[in-house]
Amino acid sequence: MTSLGLVLALLGAVLAALMAGIGSAIGVGMAGEAAAGVVTEDPNKFGKVLLLQLLPGTQGIYGLLVAVLTLIQIGVLGGSTNVSLGQGLLYLVACLPMAFVGLWSAIRQARAAVAGISTVAKRPDQMGKAMIFPAMVETYAILALLVSVLSILNIPRINI
Amino acid sequence: MAVLAMKKVNICALKKDRKSILETLQRIGIVEIADLEFDQDFFDKIDTMNMRSVFEKNSLIAKEALEILEKYVPEEINFLSSMLAPKEISKKEYYFFLNKVEEIMHVANEIIDLYSSINDKQTKIAQINKQVEMLSDWKNLDVPMNFNGTKKTKAFIGTLPQNLDDLSLRELLSELLPDEDRYDLKVLNKNDDQSFVFVLCHVYAAEKIFETLRTLGFAWPAYSTDEIPGVKIDSILKQLDELKEQARLDEEKIKSFKDQRNAIKFMADYHDMRSQKYEVISKLLHTKNVFMLSGFVPQKYAKKLEHFLLSRFNIAIEFTDPSEEDEVPVVLQNNGFSSPVEGVLESYSLPGKGEIDPTSVMAIFYYFLFGMMLSDAAYGLIIVAVCGFILIKYKNMKAGLKKALKMFLYCGISTTFWGFLFGSFFGDAIEVVSTTFFNKPIVLPALWFTPINEPMRMLAFSFGVGLLHIFTGLFLQLYELVRDKRFRDALYDVVSWYFLIGGLVVYMLSAPMITEMLAMNFILSKFIGNIGLAFAGIGTLLILFTTGRESKNPFKRFLKGLYGLYGVTGYLSDILSYSRLLALGLATGVIAQVFNKMGTMAGNGPVGLILFLIVFLVGHTMNIAINLLGAYVHTNRLQFVEFFGKFYQGGGRKFSPFFANTKYYRVTEDICDD
Repeated sequence: MTSLGLVLALLGAVLAALMAGIGSAIGVGMAGEAAAGVVTEDPNKFGKVLLLQLLPGTQGIYGLLVAVLTLIQIGVLGGSTNVSLGQGLLYLVACLPMAFVGLWSAIRQARAAVAGISTVAKRPDQMGKAMIFPAMVETYAILALLVSVLSILNIPRINI
Repeated sequence: MAVLAMKKVNICALKKDRKSILETLQRIGIVEIADLEFDQDFFDKIDTMNMRSVFEKNSLIAKEALEILEKYVPEEINFLSSMLAPKEISKKEYYFFLNKVEEIMHVANEIIDLYSSINDKQTKIAQINKQVEMLSDWKNLDVPMNFNGTKKTKAFIGTLPQNLDDLSLRELLSELLPDEDRYDLKVLNKNDDQSFVFVLCHVYAAEKIFETLRTLGFAWPAYSTDEIPGVKIDSILKQLDELKEQARLDEEKIKSFKDQRNAIKFMADYHDMRSQKYEVISKLLHTKNVFMLSGFVPQKYAKKLEHFLLSRFNIAIEFTDPSEEDEVPVVLQNNGFSSPVEGVLESYSLPGKGEIDPTSVMAIFYYFLFGMMLSDAAYGLIIVAVCGFILIKYKNMKAGLKKALKMFLYCGISTTFWGFLFGSFFGDAIEVVSTTFFNKPIVLPALWFTPINEPMRMLAFSFGVGLLHIFTGLFLQLYELVRDKRFRDALYDVVSWYFLIGGLVVYMLSAPMITEMLAMNFILSKFIGNIGLAFAGIGTLLILFTTGRESKNPFKRFLKGLYGLYGVTGYLSDILSYSRLLALGLATGVIAQVFNKMGTMAGNGPVGLILFLIVFLVGHTMNIAINLLGAYVHTNRLQFVEFFGKFYQGGGRKFSPFFANTKYYRVTEDICDD
């Protein structure tokens, strides 16, 4: 039972990578389909639609970031793996914002990106604006990332 | 930082000079020509639609011919050539081509004809191949395929859906027709799922045999001919060779035109230019002998334009200031440091009427914020190196692309700067490499502090930057209001917010709870905090009682004031939004660290070294790419939403001068030195 804390913390790390990764995979996939459609009509727009396709991909990276930070903190990647039950729970909870917001925001952002791709298909000069709409959604993934990271970095200081 | 002042220009000239005047204007490319309203009693307009469609068609023909040429004789190009601006055409070349327009168009048409004839032949070749394929199943047949018997006999040539030979087919038939033997048969060919059979029988037995064959699944061949299959195959193979030879000759002929490529390119440009010119002609006013032209020209070029035209043509030219109703087009002019971000401004919107050009202020923040988000010295140096190399190597670059590269160059410099401040060089690569491979940890010290170790400090700094950015935006609004002498609006809409937000911030900095949370190493005294609070109170009252100043109804005015005060949440979220500076900076740094760690997992040996190099290269390339995108998008967002939201509406129309908008050659003449 002494290692249950470690299990919980690892569960948190894995959830962050897992759910944010799934979200980004779905999102980048959706945007990719739309982008491929535009490229069949006009191959010159490849660069532009590729940028838009990549936008929902960041959540996966943020998930990875949270996961790895947690792994470093709990010593899975070397060092001592001394995590109390309470701390393990804290890590798990700290990872949740990134996990859930990552999943949902990536998918929602992808829908905005798909819409942006159709904007670019019709009006390539509006690229700047088309990029901003998906970026708006990403704000919330960033906020979640921030909460998760700040919590994870500060958990070792909590004596529980 | 400025929007260029515009002059309206009116030109009146003789019709006989129209062609040369317009061509001159097209070459110098500094006049935007307006579509004039006109009085039908005096003037006429010319509908040039038909002419234009002819030119456009010719241009398309030339472009299609080029595409075909490219297919058979690809032009040697390097990968950057699509980014380069078209090269200038010499006068000699220009007139040389101009004298041979018809000849060159003839070549272009011929290329297209040859190509379509090659296509026809290839379709035919495909058809013939299909025929040969079908006939080859019957090549053992030594009578014509449509042979159906003699006077006394009847022949059935067709397929059966089984794999049969002579013997098995005979057995099958004798089983089904035990009493009949007035036939002979031969299996000509067979494969796994069908047999090609020839059955010959007496006419009297024909019906019975046919019925029986039908029950076995007999089918007539899909393709039939009145020749013997073997002979037919030989003859069409000969035809095939001929076709192939002809197609090859056509192809050779197309290839022989490769020296005409430049001429055809010029044709595409030439017809595009003429089409553009005729579009302008449709905007002019004409009388019997005279035409009128009106448009916009940047003020600083006005004098030059006047001299240039008057020295060449017999015209009347006048300049006037644009009136209030005129929708004046916008050109931005900025110094080398800020002009690179003009593209970003343009992608939002150009300054509307009476608005200032925020480019130069924006540029400073743009580079600053971008650098903070990417914040890795090595990444910054890579960006600087790549952009710098391309900029030096390819001087003749398309203007927009050149600006973008310059922008990233400056962003790269800023990234390097922040990278050293935060002690990040490929993440913690220096420490990791020295520890793993040299057993002697060397740490690149942060010149300021390491955000990952002190995230709260970085967060506080990000908010500070955000506050500065937003206040600068408000200041620009203040500047515009004061410039327009709207002092009251300035006080009510800008100063009040300065009081409220600034006061609150000062008050918060005097509260121990906040400063501890943000890991500040200073705290303002209680007294200063209270002054801040007082200012916040004044701001609040100002907003509460002035936001609804347009409404007469006092109750409504009060409600509007309350709603105005609600705007404070907007400022709160705006400032919190700058936490992305921390988050994206951490993202770059931590992902870089992750890759470094992964790379060292195989230890210190040769295998470890190889693994490290691979992971390092792949990992950091990916990290640069994804974070460059992130930094770009989110810097734009902070500019567009948080910054522009405070003062900038936009809505200006871009200045689009009449110029030779060509694809392959530059046909311009610079009369403006800068």
